[in-house]
Amino acid sequence: MPVTRLLYPLYQLGNPQLRIFRPNWFLTLVRPGKEQPPDTVQFRIPMEMTKYDVKNYLEKIYNVPVGDIRTRIQYGSNKKRNHLNQRVKQPDYKVAYVQLAQGQTFTFPNIFPEKDRAPAEGSLEEMQEKFMEDEKQRQKLDPRRGGVTEWFGL
Amino acid sequence: MAASSAAGRVLTLCRQLQNVCRISSTSHFVNVTKGQNPVYRGMSPLVSLSWCSSLGQCRALHTTTSRRGLEEFFDHPNNWGETNVKSGAPWSAKQLRAKSSEDLHKLWYVLLKEKNMLLTIEQEAKRQRVQMPSPERIRKIERSMFRLETVVSERETALRLLQTGQTKGRPGAWRRNTFGYVYWYRFKEYAIPWYMNRRYKRKKFYTPKFVQPYIRLRIEKYIREKARKENLKKKAQAKLKERFPDMKVSSS
Repeated sequence: MPVTRLLYPLYQLGNPQLRIFRPNWFLTLVRPGKEQPPDTVQFRIPMEMTKYDVKNYLEKIYNVPVGDIRTRIQYGSNKKRNHLNQRVKQPDYKVAYVQLAQGQTFTFPNIFPEKDRAPAEGSLEEMQEKFMEDEKQRQKLDPRRGGVTEWFGL
Repeated sequence: MAASSAAGRVLTLCRQLQNVCRISSTSHFVNVTKGQNPVYRGMSPLVSLSWCSSLGQCRALHTTTSRRGLEEFFDHPNNWGETNVKSGAPWSAKQLRAKSSEDLHKLWYVLLKEKNMLLTIEQEAKRQRVQMPSPERIRKIERSMFRLETVVSERETALRLLQTGQTKGRPGAWRRNTFGYVYWYRFKEYAIPWYMNRRYKRKKFYTPKFVQPYIRLRIEKYIREKARKENLKKKAQAKLKERFPDMKVSSS
């Protein structure tokens, strides 16, 4: 990616349509904070992108039929302070609400389901888990005393 | 499904078919395929098809471009919930230079989609307060894209040199600014000529006379600093020579 700012050619009436090869823009699909209609997908897009850019991006690269798009800019707070009492700015970002055409719906999936995995034989994880279990067993009080602490007694 | 196109998957499957004896289980198959994802090796997809259909372990393939839609923003469902996802090495400039421009163009979009997918996973991990599996993948993709960009710009420069004799795509000139520095000023496109551009006319591309004393002071400071450094080096050498008379003097 070039270090200097990318300058696109100036547009004047009658100029040919600007084509961008190898776009340097990345979209992030996010889970909506507030409840959205079933056909709405929420993206975080770079500030330089417009509604038309997002529409073309999704249609050409992802082959997703796009209906309506609405964008807004989210202001990142400048309120928090660091250990030097300087204000730390959270970056601003643009959010796009994309409504899918042709009656398609989209629900944000659960990408981190609970998976119980048994650690491999002889691996570090297995030894660690065994060690932790042994430690917990040692910390447990005498079961014959029925939950009463060692403090009581003769 | 994987973010890469079906062609990419077929190509990676091709490589595995060449080492048929080493393919043991379907799970190994899936892992290696996923591992090869960002590393896209070019081979003719048509050759592999007949081989694949005979092997029972193949997943359903199609040579048309992947029509996964929004699924491409997420990883393969097998990888959801894993703590580590294996991935290959980033593309090196040497490997990229061997590819045709069309291949590079396609690779750019493969990398772009992969990066979008990783960014999505990163954001979701932050939301769910869970560690993202293998965050180094994003850096690998960034590096690959940077190298791709350099290779493409190299080719463009070469073409431009041959066709027009200019190295730089954007015209510019050496100009002096108000502080006495000479720098490469790159031209910007305006809709009006420069003599009608008020903001441009306020910018001075010459050094006024009253700035000369400050330039002199700057030069003096620079010379003093250089002399200080030289002096320090000489003193250090002399001290070492005194302590170790047989030392070989390093030539600077």
